[in-house]
Amino acid sequence: MFRIIKKSLKTGVVTGQYPESERPSEPINPAVTKRAKPFRRSLAIREVDTGSCNACEMEMNALLNPVYDAERFGIHIVASPRHADALVVTGPVTVNMERAMKDVHKQTPDPKIVIALGDCAINCGIFKGSYAVTGPVERHIPVDVRIPGCPPRPAEILEALSELRKERP
Amino acid sequence: MTDSPSPERSIEQQIQTVFPSLIPDYPSGTALARYRTDTHQLPELVRFLHEKMRGRLALLFAVDCRPLEKKCELQYLFAFKSRQPFVLVTTELIGEERLFTSITPSIHAAQWYEREIRDLFGLIPQGHPDLRRLVRHEHWPKGTHPLQKDFSWNHVLERQQGEYRFSHIEGEGVFEVPVGPIHAGIIEPGHFRFSVAGEPIMQLEVRHFWKHRGVEKLFEQLPLIDAVLLAERVSGDTTIGHSLAYCQAVETLLHLNVPRRAKYLRSLFLELERLYNHLGDIGAMCNDTAYALAHAHCGRMKEQVMQLNDRLVGSRFLRGVMQVGGVSWDVDRSQLRNIVQELNGIQKDFSEVGAIIFVNASLTDRLETTGVLTERIAWDHAVTGVVGRASGMDQDVRRDRPFAAYDELPVNVALYRYGDARARLRVRGDEIHESIRLIREIQARIPDGPIAVKPDRSATPGAWAIAAVEGWRGEILYFVMAGTDGRIRRCKVRDPSFANWPAIQWAVLGNIIPDFPLINKSFNLSYAGNDL
Repeated sequence: MFRIIKKSLKTGVVTGQYPESERPSEPINPAVTKRAKPFRRSLAIREVDTGSCNACEMEMNALLNPVYDAERFGIHIVASPRHADALVVTGPVTVNMERAMKDVHKQTPDPKIVIALGDCAINCGIFKGSYAVTGPVERHIPVDVRIPGCPPRPAEILEALSELRKERP
Repeated sequence: MTDSPSPERSIEQQIQTVFPSLIPDYPSGTALARYRTDTHQLPELVRFLHEKMRGRLALLFAVDCRPLEKKCELQYLFAFKSRQPFVLVTTELIGEERLFTSITPSIHAAQWYEREIRDLFGLIPQGHPDLRRLVRHEHWPKGTHPLQKDFSWNHVLERQQGEYRFSHIEGEGVFEVPVGPIHAGIIEPGHFRFSVAGEPIMQLEVRHFWKHRGVEKLFEQLPLIDAVLLAERVSGDTTIGHSLAYCQAVETLLHLNVPRRAKYLRSLFLELERLYNHLGDIGAMCNDTAYALAHAHCGRMKEQVMQLNDRLVGSRFLRGVMQVGGVSWDVDRSQLRNIVQELNGIQKDFSEVGAIIFVNASLTDRLETTGVLTERIAWDHAVTGVVGRASGMDQDVRRDRPFAAYDELPVNVALYRYGDARARLRVRGDEIHESIRLIREIQARIPDGPIAVKPDRSATPGAWAIAAVEGWRGEILYFVMAGTDGRIRRCKVRDPSFANWPAIQWAVLGNIIPDFPLINKSFNLSYAGNDL
């Protein structure tokens, strides 16, 4: 018990100890920010992997570690699309995942926001043209926000998510 | 077993005694002996290699030799005990021949490989106990076999109606629990079908290949030198492992001698990758037992290593570092000193956290005897890497077939025999300390010199090479065959996940479904690397 307390005291607070994102996030369509208005203080995200190399998943997971701690901004990951406000889609949409992704999109209640995370989700990246790939994501479902990168750093993801929910006059 | 060959003689000599008609040839570059055989002798030979010689079926794949020759080759790669060369058995199917004899009835590990060959090449393994589709899901049209040479890489697939038949257990009180392909956490897609009676799992069927992106076909469209980019993206968390294995295969083809400094840097990057993944895995396993404190500490340390990577080479996943002929990024003395300093801090940090988590009784209770993979089952499935070493399979490519700088950096291999989730956690814990020790060694021994050589010739069309690398998950294998104009004719990728996934179906038996996420996490296999 004392060992645990000692370790925690010694470690201190690590939240926020990361380099700021250097890349300015892509401008977000005002219509989308307007739609995101109800989610301003609390955004429930469902992550869907449609064929990524799993680096984007690792960076999404990193958002929840004590350093980035996305929950402090009211961003949380939910277990079902039916609980979600936003879908984060990664990967170039494979032939085998196409139907599952469309189903998830249908199951997510309106109003919803679709975020394409990573180059693969935006333009299929290096997998473009393959027989097994039917993407990009926006070919199948409407995409509202794009976060480029291979993979985007967690700080860049956080930046884009906070941009989405910024209060605007 | 009177006919059991004596262990002192080399493998080739022992094969010679039993099969006098077989003469091996030795392709240059890779340490392996190749035997050509016909389809009739094949089952007998592979059975001998597997059962008598204790050869592990490391890889089984096909090559479509068109348009050069109208034939398909089947290649069976066997790995033996430490420092012995690979044995590659090759057999041919001439012309329109589509049937080959399945070896699955005698070597269980061939099961998925043969189903994969059937799907991708349209060759049918006769006598295979399970001929359902594997890679091609039910909606793929009949007769589409993407790795046949006359199948165009950008072919647009049509969809058809179809149904996949899961294996059923019937009886009173038995019911099925389908899970996936989309799961509750932030993980990759895969489908798990449990049959349970009450709490314990009676049967699990893993259904994968949701993420099949056609990686092997995409390789065939790329020049040898540029395909490193694709190798980096086979499985994102194993960026270095895959790109290194690919580069090594291509360097053998191009007869390149990588400078020693580059070899040391390659080992450095590989160990950094092992570190951040193992730290993350230990945290994630603790998280699956609801031990949030350990998860937070490990997540913090993992992040520290990833930020270190970012500062070092500008990529948290060490992307863009590997190139054919060496590395593209040098690390100078002061940087090395900083790395070692920071890692010393992490090692101390991790030891303190380890002292907390390994004495936690409730954690130990959850992990011990959970998801036991016995040595016998691990051997039958030719399991590799961390999972194998937790089940008593003493194998590590870094020691057995030294690559990069490991011929000068002896590795202490972590080995446990219990095969449960705790053993897999312990293997990872030990390897974290070992990796940091190796990086200190690298700092002390790294020579000065160039970090890359330029390829000065092109590969002979039809030449091929096999490379093995111990990534953080286990043994990564690449087979690369050169084509015309400096392109790739065939590239077979084998992530350790492909060998280990079937074994998980046995490790969960008798456990309860709530323990499955923990068992799955303790294996932590890649879906992307498996599905390709």
